[in-house]
Amino acid sequence: MRNVIAAVTSAAALLLLAGCMTVVDAPVGTYKVGEAYQVSLGRHWADVSAIMLDRSHGVHVLSVDGPLLNRLYLSEGLGAGDSLVKSTVKEKPTPTYKTDFSPTETVEFVADSVAALGYQKVETSHLRPGRFGNEDGLRFDLVAKTTDGLDVSGSAMIAQKGGRLYVILFLAPTEHFFGDAAPEIDAIMNSVQFHGV
Amino acid sequence: MRVWLIVAACLAMAACTTTQAKLATTADRPSPNAEILALQPDVQLAIITAGGVTEPRADWSTAARDNIAAAIKGALSAKGLKYTALDPTTVESGRNAQLLRLNNAVGQSILTYDYLIQLPTHANGFDWTLGDGVKTLATTYGGDYALFVNARGSYSSDARKAVIVVAAVLGVSVPTGGQALDASLVDMRTGRIVWFNVAQASPDADMRTPEGAQSLVKDVLKSAPF
Amino acid sequence: MRFAKLIAGVALALSAPLASAAPVLERQPHLRPPDAGSEEAGLWDATDKAERAARASGELDADPELNAYVKHVLCRVAQEYCDDLRLYVMDRPFFNATAAPNGYVEVWSGLLLRARNEAELAFVLAHETTHFARNHSLAAERHLKDQANGAMALGLILSAGMMAGGAYAGVSASTIANANTSIINISYLGAVVSYFQFSREQEAEADQGGFDRLVAAGYDPNAAASIWQHLIDEHGQSDFDAVRKGHAAGSIFNTHPLDGERLSALAAAAKGKPAGDLGVERYRAAIRPHLTAFLRNDLLRRDFGETLSLIDRLMADGGDAGVLGFYRGECFRLRRGPEDADRAIKAYEAATTAVDAPTETWRELGDLYVRQHDATKARVAYHAYLDRAPDAQDRWLVESQLKKLDQSEGT
Repeated sequence: MRNVIAAVTSAAALLLLAGCMTVVDAPVGTYKVGEAYQVSLGRHWADVSAIMLDRSHGVHVLSVDGPLLNRLYLSEGLGAGDSLVKSTVKEKPTPTYKTDFSPTETVEFVADSVAALGYQKVETSHLRPGRFGNEDGLRFDLVAKTTDGLDVSGSAMIAQKGGRLYVILFLAPTEHFFGDAAPEIDAIMNSVQFHGV
Repeated sequence: MRVWLIVAACLAMAACTTTQAKLATTADRPSPNAEILALQPDVQLAIITAGGVTEPRADWSTAARDNIAAAIKGALSAKGLKYTALDPTTVESGRNAQLLRLNNAVGQSILTYDYLIQLPTHANGFDWTLGDGVKTLATTYGGDYALFVNARGSYSSDARKAVIVVAAVLGVSVPTGGQALDASLVDMRTGRIVWFNVAQASPDADMRTPEGAQSLVKDVLKSAPF
Repeated sequence: MRFAKLIAGVALALSAPLASAAPVLERQPHLRPPDAGSEEAGLWDATDKAERAARASGELDADPELNAYVKHVLCRVAQEYCDDLRLYVMDRPFFNATAAPNGYVEVWSGLLLRARNEAELAFVLAHETTHFARNHSLAAERHLKDQANGAMALGLILSAGMMAGGAYAGVSASTIANANTSIINISYLGAVVSYFQFSREQEAEADQGGFDRLVAAGYDPNAAASIWQHLIDEHGQSDFDAVRKGHAAGSIFNTHPLDGERLSALAAAAKGKPAGDLGVERYRAAIRPHLTAFLRNDLLRRDFGETLSLIDRLMADGGDAGVLGFYRGECFRLRRGPEDADRAIKAYEAATTAVDAPTETWRELGDLYVRQHDATKARVAYHAYLDRAPDAQDRWLVESQLKKLDQSEGT
């Protein structure tokens, strides 16, 4: 893990030391995801969006112990052609959203985005209906492995509204970290409130 | 390796806003007859050639690993603590393997997100855990606490040193290498990281020699809650 | 004046080739790890580390039958080195196989997907065995150090009173970039190997040695040129300019410069030689249980031109029409170019006529017909899916899709 992740995190660390980026508090209470919606945080999170070099514009990333141990993606609303994960190399494109995705394709979009982050053997399961605020959506679970062989679990909730895809995605090592955060993640997902509805 | 050296360098420059050794505030100190599961140190040393190519040196890595392991054994015995050694490369699958990989991820997170970046969620006290799944590790291998040590570094070859001299004269900067070590102590009942420390090797603490390793280990274990 | 002499002295020392470098000989079988402190030991140690990482890796494909089959093919061509080699199949959707100096061999799923028969796989493994047998990694490491020393010397000379711009002209950026990457941080064999790029001469040597081993094992001599030809053809169909031109990072061409000369050499070597074992049926049977997983993984690359080219090749050989046809449809569905929806529908429909069509084929058809506002065909497809997959985890979703169709009909 040290060898593989070191390059990314050390680059981020250097930029941070240089004062180019900041990690911000995401305290207990309301957390706004852009202008689109808000969620309610039951515990203290850190907004690490600035140091996640591979996230797309309009995607927020929260963490408690650093992205290797827990990461919560909240997208402001992806439009046609937008991606959850940024492509850094032209020959390695990442999945992009299309407004006429079938429900299956929206789930595939999230799973393939997780794969584009570098996770291996990504599988989805337990697909079920959910409510993203006042919109009908989908919820599903994920499992994957890091390249070092650490098992990772995930939980996702997605909805399409007004030609945009809203995604809340949580990833954490299966050992301890996923289970520890599960109740909080559930609560966050159930707390979505769209603005200006 | 870069992360270690960045952390060690920042500590050396007193530019980190944090103390060097981390102690979990509410953790119990190991009792006098605690058993320590000491994992074989993970050491990777290399030589930097004149042209800047970093070449791994198996002999140095093995020697340093054995020197550090011996120094740790000595230090623990001196405190009257029981010591069991475990080679992590023998743990390949199952929950124990997951726990060791998780420990790597947590160690990396501590280095980057506690020392360097200081997450606001970790601003009050040193609070990291592997979760109580570590009991599985204790059941399989024994031990009340697990001690993990990692060392990385490189040494300039003589030809490289000549280049450094010349480059300095010309005002060109050339990477010189360095060595750093980190150590962590995990409570095997709860999974909490009760102690963590990072040390940069000074020129007279060369871990390739037994004396150098002893000096380095003494330095890093100085703050350990034994 | 003194400084100039000092610089000149160091620069001269740096640019002299490593005088003590012993000539690189053919490797003895059953070699033990070399003396500690030697450069072989360092490289061996780095690859030991990469092997441990491979065993733990999330990309390891531990399927015992698949590994046994590939190991069997490897041993047929590796012969005297068979006992030295430990095989790992890695689920990576790229054409690659590597033999490390410590005997650890990786074969990537992308290669297993692209060989048309056992002989083609055997040639690639024979090629890698030759790199192993001739200690090419070690020679490449020395070459890199020579180059790096040369570049450093040049850099020092040029910075003494001249602009440093152009200091590295003549030395490829990738070797300098590699020189700056710490190999002790690289735990991934592909990165270790690309750290030491093989020269054209080494590749030609590996082709020749590989060809000899292929023929000695009784395989068809034409397999050698044909597998490289497929690769060139496939890259020519890539969606990406850089891959078509062979410059992409991670492209097989980076570490294995492949050109017409090598192909002609192999074709010439095969000329007039009697046909040998191809093993088409045997090979496809061994790959069949993994075809779906390999193709699904290949799609993650999102190079639909290449994946379609590969699928068409496999379909031409016959067999697996359902699975291959389904993935052909997936390529069009994911690519989303103009008229790709129609192409996807055609491909899925064709797949449904084969016995091995995955159940998802009907669901995808349903979704596409919905997109095309053809409610009748969508209903037929969805019902077919539900009939074939009664325990599908997305059954409720398809049922709600059907309900929506009925409701919009009703209004």
